[in-house]
Amino acid sequence: MSVDLIGFTIVAAATLVLALMVVMSREIVHSALYFAGVLIGIAILFFIMNAVYVGIIQILIYVGAVVVLILFGIMLTRRNILLG
Amino acid sequence: MTCAWASRTGDTLINYLYYIPNTIATAILSLLHINLPQLNYLLTWVIASVMLIIVIMVNVIIFIYVERKELGRFMDRRGPFVVGPAGFFQNFADAFKFLIKEMILPENADALGFNSTLVIIVASSLMIMTVVPQAPDFFYTNPDLGLLLAFAIFAIEPFAVVIAGWASNNKYSLLGGFRSTAQMMSYEVPMLITIISVVILAGSFNFSTIVNFQSSHVWFVIPLILGFIVFLIAIVAEIERIPFDTPDAEAELVHGWMTEYAGIKFALFQLTSYVRTFAGAAIMVLIFLGGWTGPFLPPIVWFYIKVYAVFTLFVWLRASLPRVRIDQVLNIGWRSLLPLSLFNIVIAALLRISGVFH
Repeated sequence: MSVDLIGFTIVAAATLVLALMVVMSREIVHSALYFAGVLIGIAILFFIMNAVYVGIIQILIYVGAVVVLILFGIMLTRRNILLG
Repeated sequence: MTCAWASRTGDTLINYLYYIPNTIATAILSLLHINLPQLNYLLTWVIASVMLIIVIMVNVIIFIYVERKELGRFMDRRGPFVVGPAGFFQNFADAFKFLIKEMILPENADALGFNSTLVIIVASSLMIMTVVPQAPDFFYTNPDLGLLLAFAIFAIEPFAVVIAGWASNNKYSLLGGFRSTAQMMSYEVPMLITIISVVILAGSFNFSTIVNFQSSHVWFVIPLILGFIVFLIAIVAEIERIPFDTPDAEAELVHGWMTEYAGIKFALFQLTSYVRTFAGAAIMVLIFLGGWTGPFLPPIVWFYIKVYAVFTLFVWLRASLPRVRIDQVLNIGWRSLLPLSLFNIVIAALLRISGVFH
């Protein structure tokens, strides 16, 4: 079993678990947090597959911009925290 | 798997950040009579990471000391001078004070968001320095797309900041998180466009290629002075130092998104801001100020001389400029820096096609 395969298995499993957490989380901000984890995991999978440029752009666009836009949208909706 | 420290561009120098950890790892494994190349690789990697973190942290301690001393001189006072020789151990005293404080989780705060964002912010900030080479014989990794990768890692922090502000359950934290994220996202755009002008001239995203190109031609600060100014303003805004520290403006928002963090968590955030300052100064030195090249002295010494000169410039800005209001911050970013950085690309392209740089 090569180092690459071990790394791929760990990262892929973590990404899948995080993706499940995105849809199963009760708190929508936690979903966004897990979603950023999923996107970083996918970027690491790209790195393992030697597609470095795609991985970098994945982090730069998705984690750096898309998740932040999602969060800005979420923050304007109703939430339990900050009411009390 | 290819070795992450593989020497590039045909240089025959020893990379000390690989050579020393590898020697230690080999010695440890031969003492234990274990012969596993993968374990040797893993152990080398771990020791090299620890060495890099020690290098960063020692520099951060010196940064804080230098900032306090220089800020004192700018304000016509002496800075710290009681603890240790010339007050050098004042930082250690402050850090110890942070350590003995209680770590508070505010009531009704969101524990997951409150604690996990701390890890994300500290880890991503330390990670920037793994792709920034410090000298041809002292680098952790030197990937082909190093410049782009450094800014990709820079871009991880904003979403964690807005979650940290939300999770603190405090209106000042939430406002600080929004401001911080909005500011970082707006200034990333001119910054990335400015580095494109550097890449147009040098023809590569690799740090050592950019530095070698500058040493054989001219420092990019001379042809791209406009880009240098844009990059300086953008990097100061990105690391949230004083003219652009609206996210933790003490007079308006208690301490921005860090308000609810106490004890060692707050100390880690403060440390992180200096790590990002170090990374920003290092990137600026590498892509505009000729990196580690210079006469007589070894490359690593030149690198640190330039980094500390840039840091002194940051302290000078902090000592002499008032804070910019948040709407002015966004106006400067989108209405002034973005057109200027686009104009800078035109200059770089004209220089490139006129054959001045080839």
